[in-house]
Amino acid sequence: MTTPYLRIRNLSKHFGDFTALDNVNIDIYRGEFVCFLGPSGCGKTTLLRAISGLDIQTHGTVEQDGRDISALPPAKRDFGIVFQSYALFQNLTVARNIAYGLENRKQPKAAIQQRVTELLELIGLPDSGHKYPAQLSGGQQQRVALARALAISPGLLLLDEPLSALDAKVRTHLREEIKSLQRRLGITTIMITHDQEEAISMADRIVVMRDGRIEQIGTPLEIYHQPASLFVAEFIGAMNLLPATRIGHGEIQLGSARLACAVQGYEPGAAVRAAVRPEDIVCTGKTNGHANSLQAEVHDLEFMGPFFWLSLGGGELGEHRLRAQLPSQRARELDLRPREALHLHIPAEHIRLFPNSYSHG
Amino acid sequence: MVAPRVRPRLGRDEWLMGGGLLVLALYLAITLLVPLALMLTKSVQDREGAFVGLANFAQYFTNPALSGAIGNSLWVSALATAITIALAFGYAYALNRSCIPFKGFFRLVAMLPLLAPSLLSAIALVYLFGNQGALKGWLFGESIYGPIGIVIGSVFWTFPHALIIISTALATADARLYEASESLGASRWRTFTVVTLSGARYGLISALFVVFTLVITDFGVPKVVGGQFNMLATDIYKQVVGQQNFQMGAVVSLLLLLPAVLAFFVERWAQRRQISSLSSRAVPYRPKPSPVRDLALLGFVGLVALVILGILGMAAFASFAKLWPYNLSLTLSHYDFSNADGGSWASYGNSIRLALYTAVSGSLVVFVGAYLVEKTRVAKPLRTATHLLALIPMAVPGMVLGLAYIFFFNAPGNPLNFLYGTMAILVLATIAHFYTVSHLTALTALKQLDPEFESVSAALKTPFYRTFWRVTTPMCLPAILDIAIYFFINAMTTVSAVVFLYAPHTTLASVAVLNMDDAGDTAPAAAMAMLIVYTSAGVRLLHAWLSRWLLRRTQAWRLQGR
Repeated sequence: MTTPYLRIRNLSKHFGDFTALDNVNIDIYRGEFVCFLGPSGCGKTTLLRAISGLDIQTHGTVEQDGRDISALPPAKRDFGIVFQSYALFQNLTVARNIAYGLENRKQPKAAIQQRVTELLELIGLPDSGHKYPAQLSGGQQQRVALARALAISPGLLLLDEPLSALDAKVRTHLREEIKSLQRRLGITTIMITHDQEEAISMADRIVVMRDGRIEQIGTPLEIYHQPASLFVAEFIGAMNLLPATRIGHGEIQLGSARLACAVQGYEPGAAVRAAVRPEDIVCTGKTNGHANSLQAEVHDLEFMGPFFWLSLGGGELGEHRLRAQLPSQRARELDLRPREALHLHIPAEHIRLFPNSYSHG
Repeated sequence: MVAPRVRPRLGRDEWLMGGGLLVLALYLAITLLVPLALMLTKSVQDREGAFVGLANFAQYFTNPALSGAIGNSLWVSALATAITIALAFGYAYALNRSCIPFKGFFRLVAMLPLLAPSLLSAIALVYLFGNQGALKGWLFGESIYGPIGIVIGSVFWTFPHALIIISTALATADARLYEASESLGASRWRTFTVVTLSGARYGLISALFVVFTLVITDFGVPKVVGGQFNMLATDIYKQVVGQQNFQMGAVVSLLLLLPAVLAFFVERWAQRRQISSLSSRAVPYRPKPSPVRDLALLGFVGLVALVILGILGMAAFASFAKLWPYNLSLTLSHYDFSNADGGSWASYGNSIRLALYTAVSGSLVVFVGAYLVEKTRVAKPLRTATHLLALIPMAVPGMVLGLAYIFFFNAPGNPLNFLYGTMAILVLATIAHFYTVSHLTALTALKQLDPEFESVSAALKTPFYRTFWRVTTPMCLPAILDIAIYFFINAMTTVSAVVFLYAPHTTLASVAVLNMDDAGDTAPAAAMAMLIVYTSAGVRLLHAWLSRWLLRRTQAWRLQGR
């Protein structure tokens, strides 16, 4: 196994009595694209600022490329950074913004010029060098900020919610662009985001954080399909979380239905939460051809274009509510109407059990 | 397992910025804190410097000739404040909430008193209502020398200060509140009291305390037109300059410090409230024409403007009139100060030098200082301490600062003693006197910049001073110009701090006005006061032109981007 490029060990940050980071450990490998994901106040920004040296941690170490940088000021570290606000120097042209970090390195003017031209082409703005940032759109400004950060060829690229200030369309577009740029340059990248969709679509690995702790580290697929905690299950994607009871024979009781699933770690009689993704619920209509199914009533149908949101309750569900995603084509075949009863099949492998409440640590 | 506590290592930027901050803190301590502390100790010492406890205070309060000034100062200041606030509110209301014509002109006229030393209004009052005054009969036999003169003169020069604060409070109104009030069927009077007045209440409170402090700590107006009426500020002068009783001067200074400190805290409290009362979703209020109201307000505003122009015009006319009131033919002879006692063109030259030095070095110190306070990543306690030091001058009357400077810089054994009696000490005193407003202006400008400029700069391995010079300073240039002009005009017009500190070769124009008036050379005093006005006005115009040129030149990047 290769050694990690960035090693974060036992990192904690306290502001007075408040613990912003609590014993964080992460390994990031060369060329990886890692997202720190979590709700606001989860510590992801604090973690990024500790890695950059802008706000140094209270305890713990950061090693970059085998060098202990834990206590170094930002100027002694090797990173480029892009902020949500772009932080472009408004009074300098785009070209001078990009050249800013190069001009301090006593390079010949021609070399700087060439590097700037190169970077302008890289970000797809070859003719905008003479413009001022205020004359560009938000998306263009963010690309300039990216070029400025990349100009000095840093070993590590830090992106602090780079897309949050942009509107939805530009955001999706820039997402792909940043991702492909990162792949082309092979630069180790950390991006902070509170947008799970962004994290899932861009990251090689995701670090989910809550209350200054790491909840789970894993690939987008792992995070989505095998959430390690109730928090991750709820935070990533849509999820039904239903109170249920573990009964014998590898089954749980949900309302008056009995469903088979993996029940390891729970005593019979234990109260649990059953997590089921809406797209994993199969509507079999009026007939019941499957094991692991239950019967419920359609409370509401919401048409979303390619699919319907079904709100289900009653029947064997009793007081519980279940949301299911039903492809439009399937809905047409079933000719569903509100108040109608139907059968639902939930494959055992798509039911995950969690303890009834959030655990801390 | 608990990892060891990280001790951040400092880079060159951190050392330089932390060091700069320390230098600034020391500078403020020396030019502000230590002199003031020394003054406090003087108030509990006798002439020989032995500790006497509260004996000086006891002596002060048992001598009615002295302590009577407290009552005098309080009621005169309260009356002047009440009148100023009422007038300024009406004026600000007309400018912000009505559709009267010529708003720009009226705004300009209202700001004119800022260009003059406070003495000027007093001199004009002597010409208007003095023993040979043109309008003497209007006082029904009362004398302008005394409370009447002090009140009128104070109202004149504090009016723009009140107007600026109240105007700001009235300028930001939420139109939705008015619509709500109207749709609920409230009468216009009720809307006025419930929405308008309560919306502006923090501005009013703030203005109230600012004006009260300005009046009670002012020295120019009571000196010229106060007659035998004792006020605290003139008492300090009398004790120190007249009787060389520095200890008693320190006692009176302390008394004067109290209302100023109180005003300082109330003002800061009110400012915070004012800002938070307006949400970002507010819809700006646009006044609709209302003929009766607009006409009444136009009459009121016109009258106030006329009085301001009248007082200023009186001083201007007096400076040109051959021998008031007997020979009113025009002459420039009063501008030849060679025969006047206590003033000369040299003092005017000194004032210009003081103003220039103060403007240049003051804006430099203030802007670099504000930058360090705002942007230094390390030494948080030092940043806070320095910021607090920078706020002190707001609560220190000029007279008090001047006296404190005597105590400190004239103390035997002080290595800085060589500054005493030089132009440098006048510059130091003036910068210290007007530090707070400049500091807050610079901070506001810096806070509008992206807070991550310094982070980006560090990530690009560029030293902070390079970014300061190439990005921060150019972007803040309009604010730096504002600070420079503020220092310049205040250095031209101030009397209070410098009156204790000038030497024969560093006499100043504003002090010359005082001394010439004292010696009975009233016309040359008016001429000198008008010289100050012309200069301030000229510099103001230059500043406006420069700002506009700058804005045009930098328009390309000042475009409000998305």
